[in-house]
Amino acid sequence: MAGAAQGGARQSRLAPYLLVAPGVLWLIVFYVIPTLTLAKTSLAVGDAPWWESYRQALTGYGDHFLRSAEYALAATVIAVLLGYPLAYVMAFRAGKYKNLLLGLVILPFFTTFLVRTFAWKTILNDNGFAINFLQSVHLLSEGGRLLNTTLAVVGGLTYNFLPFMILPIYVSLEKIDPRLVEAAQDLYNPPSSAFRKVILPLSLPGVFAGSLLTFIPALGDFINAELLGSPNQQMIGTVIQNQFLDVRDYPLAAALSFVLMVVITGGVLLYARVLGTEDLA
Amino acid sequence: MPDFEAATGIKVEYTEDINDNNEYFAKIDEPLKRSQSIDREIIVLTDWMAGRLITLGYAAPLDDSKFPNKANLIDNLRDVSFDPGRKYSVPWLSGMTGVGYNPKKTGRELTSMNDIFDPKYKGQVTMLTEMRDTLGLIMLANGADPANCTKADAEKACARIKKARESGHIRAFTGNDYAEDLAAGNIAVAIAWSGDIQGLAADNPDLRWIAPKEGAMLYSDNMLIPKTSDRQDLAMAWINYCYDPAHSAQIVAAAPYISAVKGAGEELAKIAPDLAKSSLVNPPDELRARLHVFRALSDAEDTEFNKIFQDAIGA
Repeated sequence: MAGAAQGGARQSRLAPYLLVAPGVLWLIVFYVIPTLTLAKTSLAVGDAPWWESYRQALTGYGDHFLRSAEYALAATVIAVLLGYPLAYVMAFRAGKYKNLLLGLVILPFFTTFLVRTFAWKTILNDNGFAINFLQSVHLLSEGGRLLNTTLAVVGGLTYNFLPFMILPIYVSLEKIDPRLVEAAQDLYNPPSSAFRKVILPLSLPGVFAGSLLTFIPALGDFINAELLGSPNQQMIGTVIQNQFLDVRDYPLAAALSFVLMVVITGGVLLYARVLGTEDLA
Repeated sequence: MPDFEAATGIKVEYTEDINDNNEYFAKIDEPLKRSQSIDREIIVLTDWMAGRLITLGYAAPLDDSKFPNKANLIDNLRDVSFDPGRKYSVPWLSGMTGVGYNPKKTGRELTSMNDIFDPKYKGQVTMLTEMRDTLGLIMLANGADPANCTKADAEKACARIKKARESGHIRAFTGNDYAEDLAAGNIAVAIAWSGDIQGLAADNPDLRWIAPKEGAMLYSDNMLIPKTSDRQDLAMAWINYCYDPAHSAQIVAAAPYISAVKGAGEELAKIAPDLAKSSLVNPPDELRARLHVFRALSDAEDTEFNKIFQDAIGA
């Protein structure tokens, strides 16, 4: 494989660049340029020192950053707990129902995100059947509610991003060679330890990719907090939206977006280092 | 609208582009700054936003020679702080902001703005994200006048909102969507727009709207012609048409807000006698006397007030 034909050497040296060119162009136009514009906006603070908007972003909105991280983390953990068993069943136990289950996971995506979140508002209505039922079995106190609570926001985030968790885990489980599992069992591993020593490590890249695909959008989300939360559950995404549209403090909004991006990038790098995977499913 | 099209041969397209003044401003700010067309001949915006567009020079002056019906504009809306002499804008419809409630949930009739802070309604109260409405009403409850309020008044009102928000008393800050929650019984009391409650009255006769005894807010949505409109003559024809009392009454019959046209009340009594009796559409003088308008804020003040308000509502 290493010895390519001499005649095609120049061509093959160029080929990789040509192949990445469309992607790089896309990133320049839709990522690099907007990011630079955002950086410029965040520094446009007039007479104040250049770090003024960053000082405000870091000192004034700690609660919102922390809350967003908590909610996104909770949603990610719940999504793993719900998504992993489902992906496992789909990959190993579903037989002819595999495609049906896969279809059902993807089905909600045919309706838009916003409409699905609005639907939860109706479902969790204080006088709706769901709440009445929970009250009648005393899981919820009389006069208790779910709408506009932390539970509703975390639930909404989990619900909306769950498929992003299931699909990568499913893919990584699906490609595990069944002979490896058989070999483990042949060597007198009970199923639980075969799972622990073979299946789980081999599926970790899927968990890794799924966690990123859930955590990152959940961290920046504002729709769930806005529709399902109360004013005490607002996330950093809500603040950025309000600073851009209502207060029109563009430097602060840009600085907040920047801090969020740095936090996410740093977090992802740390996560990749700790989990030590180079193979993103 | 079909009548207008038949009478003039001008085709009208009514679009609901504007969900929120601020969002719409973010959309049209750039093109108008560069004098590009936004493809609309008339836009309808709330007072303060209309004022911002006029200050920025985004609005075309109204051609009074094509607007004989301007004489029908009611007196107290003729001279407004954001557009003295109404050179650029005239009201489309006006509305009142007060307290809406569901008596089944409150268990009693409300009269005062302070009732909204009654601890009994904890977690069953919503307020509006529209700063001037919410802030104005709380200022009135505190005995301040939104027509000449200071930053200190705003800070005091915001502190009260923040305290109620942090204690969990306020369930949400909303746009129009509080109306469904009020009708569904999710909330007991809301800072509410008169037109929304009037609009719900047919299906929910129990819902009430009151102007608190401390006073309520009056706002108008105003018609403006963007400076980049290339058919200002047609736009003027429509505005003039709307200022005929009979035509204005037709508009009110379709959208239950308050007409700014003299004589529209009498015309409304002819086509929709029941609606004309509602004080939400045809406010009596005693009610009109209790309505306040938020003063015009400079751009810097607007940002300053918004900052403390957004902090108070937790966003």
